[in-house]
Amino acid sequence: MDTDDLIARLATEAPPPPLHVAALSGRIVIATLLPAALFLGVLGTRADLAQAWANPVVPLKTLLPLVVCGLALGALARLVRPEAQARGLLRALAVPVLVAAGLWGWAFVTRPPVVRFAEVGMFSLSECVGLIILLAILPAAVALRVLRRGASVRPMLSGALAGLAASAGAATGYSLFCTQDNPLFFVTWYGAAIGVVTITAALVGRHLLRW
Amino acid sequence: MTHTSDDWAGLLRAANAGDGRAYARFLCAVTPVVRGIVRARGRSFGPDQHEDIVQEVLLALHRKRHTWREDHPLRPWLYAIVRYKVVDAFRARGAVVHLPIEDFTEILAADPGPDPFAARDAARQTEALLGQLDPRAAEIVRALALREEAPADVGARLNMTEGALRVGLHRAMKKLATLAKGGTDGHR
Repeated sequence: MDTDDLIARLATEAPPPPLHVAALSGRIVIATLLPAALFLGVLGTRADLAQAWANPVVPLKTLLPLVVCGLALGALARLVRPEAQARGLLRALAVPVLVAAGLWGWAFVTRPPVVRFAEVGMFSLSECVGLIILLAILPAAVALRVLRRGASVRPMLSGALAGLAASAGAATGYSLFCTQDNPLFFVTWYGAAIGVVTITAALVGRHLLRW
Repeated sequence: MTHTSDDWAGLLRAANAGDGRAYARFLCAVTPVVRGIVRARGRSFGPDQHEDIVQEVLLALHRKRHTWREDHPLRPWLYAIVRYKVVDAFRARGAVVHLPIEDFTEILAADPGPDPFAARDAARQTEALLGQLDPRAAEIVRALALREEAPADVGARLNMTEGALRVGLHRAMKKLATLAKGGTDGHR
């Protein structure tokens, strides 16, 4: 087709509604909160939540994924525009990751070898990893879907951030239910669940978010 | 056409508010700039392909025109999209070169080629393959695929309907592909 004809044809089409990034992010947040709230509504938070939080390590289990979720959402929302960059937010993601790694190292050093991985059993493991992945599916799918309206020039990174925001959000909710307070357990297995969802979403995003 | 970026912003603002004529002017103003970038970056592709890539970029601008913030400068947004689509289009075409003869003849017809000898050898090879087809099938391929004549004209000349031509071309191309792969014993 001749380029002038193409232009003439395109010019007859009605303009699309403008992109509202806040509304778009809002939908991702709602999709993250919904399954987590449903889960906690049905099964409840852990019974000893108030006492458990007296130990300063335990609130970190909730706080770290919450921070990751917030940073990932922020970066995601920025990268919706083709000209935008999110270097600051992406670098800031290193902070919760380093804190988690430090927590893991500290727990490893201070615990006697016998009790280090005492809680790791097939059941507790599949419960933790499985539930976080399950809770992350809806928000990850919604995030990938609404991002298609945007114009990220880095589809794989945007996909990864969608998975990271969804799974870190899911882990935040799940942490209020989970009774495993050993950082060797929760850093490892929350991290594994978040990693699985993030990598999957990155691979999906690479194709789905191209335009 | 030496519009400044400010004019373009005004045009796109009007376009996104529903002014189709402003939108056409915006696209017309942007096209030569896009064309220049595509030509400068894509020396190894023929002019036909350049224009295809230009159109792909224009389509991308069209589909993503709602992602520009009207209170932000236009140029960074515009160049980000152009850059993304040009890279994408070149990458997509890098793969096409390795496909079998159906695509090969198209590239042959469109691309003057950086190495004239390679092009001549390829053309000679194509001629040799065409010689192994029956004359009518060979003529269909030459007329439709190599010279890109209008199917209606070719049909009138060969006394065939356009549907029959399409089938004939498809069969001839398949035959050519097996000939090119299997050497001379392609005719069972």
